[in-house]
Amino acid sequence: MTAALAKYRHVFAVGLQSNLVYRWNFAARGFFSLFHLIVVFVLWRAAYEGQTHIGGYDLRQTLTYFVILLPLQFMIGAFNEDYQVSEEIRSGLINQFLLKPVNYYLYRFSIFAAARCVSGALILLPLLAALPFIYDSLTLPDGAWRLWLGLPAMFLSALIQFTIAYCFGLLTFWFLEIQSFVILSMAVEVVLGGQMFPLDLLPRWLYDLSQYLPFYYQMYFPAAIFTGRLDYAATLQALPIQVAWAVLLLAFAQFLWRRGLRLHTAVGG
Amino acid sequence: MTLAHYLRIWLAGARYSIVRTMMFRLDFIMWSLVELFWMAVNLLLIGVIYGHTDSIAGWNKHEMILLVGSAMILQRLTMGFFWSNLFELSRNIRTGHFDFFIAQPGNPLFMVSTRKLDLDGIINSFVAIAVVVYAVRQLGLQPGPGDIALYVALLGVALVIHYAVILLTTSMTFWLIGAQGLEGSYFTVFEFARLPKEAFLRSAVLNAIFVWGLPAVITSNIPASALLHGLNWGHLAWLAAAAAAWLAVAVMVFNRGLRRYSSASS
Repeated sequence: MTAALAKYRHVFAVGLQSNLVYRWNFAARGFFSLFHLIVVFVLWRAAYEGQTHIGGYDLRQTLTYFVILLPLQFMIGAFNEDYQVSEEIRSGLINQFLLKPVNYYLYRFSIFAAARCVSGALILLPLLAALPFIYDSLTLPDGAWRLWLGLPAMFLSALIQFTIAYCFGLLTFWFLEIQSFVILSMAVEVVLGGQMFPLDLLPRWLYDLSQYLPFYYQMYFPAAIFTGRLDYAATLQALPIQVAWAVLLLAFAQFLWRRGLRLHTAVGG
Repeated sequence: MTLAHYLRIWLAGARYSIVRTMMFRLDFIMWSLVELFWMAVNLLLIGVIYGHTDSIAGWNKHEMILLVGSAMILQRLTMGFFWSNLFELSRNIRTGHFDFFIAQPGNPLFMVSTRKLDLDGIINSFVAIAVVVYAVRQLGLQPGPGDIALYVALLGVALVIHYAVILLTTSMTFWLIGAQGLEGSYFTVFEFARLPKEAFLRSAVLNAIFVWGLPAVITSNIPASALLHGLNWGHLAWLAAAAAAWLAVAVMVFNRGLRRYSSASS
């Protein structure tokens, strides 16, 4: 078991090194994300003019939600993992994993974890620089339970995000070009993951429905725990659904991998 | 080189793009759906916010749809006519394939800007036009031919700004060979185009930077305001001056970069 884990620890270390090479790319992406935050602040400040609450939350609570989303996106979001998997299948690089005692999913997940450690640390720099300007607009709820339940929810969200991206990458076994599928699904994920607006602003029936979809657990769920949009009972109720989605998606990824390999042809020496 | 000559080159490029699109029909359908989805996402955001409020910076729901629709028309046209060409410019500078454009019989800027058309962007610009028409009807506006001509002319001037911003960012590749993803800053800048300019009035700093400094907000606000409230000469001069200034800077940077370019091939 320890020997098996050591393999992936090495992959993680190599992933850290290779992602540190792209530290300026991540930093630039983090910097540009601050512009998106300005758009969000301007839009929601204007929307709150003349009223103190929208959907039961005041302006500071809503702005805090969007600010928390930013580090979450860099810590648990899937960036280009789907393309990486797709490229390895298309170019034949995946063949080397078929001959070695390496689980391809765990290999890619180790690299994903390393990449998010680097990007997650780098987003803190522009965020810290912006903090003096936005501090007065933020408010965080009390309750240590939000941390103890929020952190596992965050890990499961990362697992769900990565596994969905991995599944899209595996579609390359069937389709040569997956970019349009990925961007199409990104539009759905952005809306139903709560990145465009807090999901609780949706009509009640749509919000209730969204809780049974995996997108809810990609980003909204941990963000809502940390920012006080979900109470203790609702969090406990939703956590098993998040676990179920993580397990289901893992099983689906395994299914796609096995079916895909049947179609795969390795050529060359 | 006459204008007719350039028109023939452009038509040849357009014909090639259409033939190529028809060869990859599924890809075309998928990309059209992608753009359609993203437009729907923006409209959904408006729907959700206006489900809880009546006004954003003095703009009611359908005025906001008109504003966002105008921003969408501009972005779809930019995607359709220029994006792929200028996006590839960065890549071609890095790889040395830019040599191919310099060797062509025509102005290099024209050749790099107009080689391809993206039909999905052009097709979806009609969807964006339909969004604007819907908003106009809901607002009970009855624009005459003159109002429509003014709106189209203002969009045309605003399109020059979109083009200039992409050209400027991609031309930076002549100096910053290693910096990938610079082109993406276009989307960052023009995210502001979906906001009413009155929303920036609360902060003098934000107003100075994002309304007066960066050109995004005015590209959608001035055409939409013209349709809502009629011609404002001050706005017209502002937009035209911004377009002229940004285009002049972008062309100057491109030409300087061109002089600096030393190929990357062996």
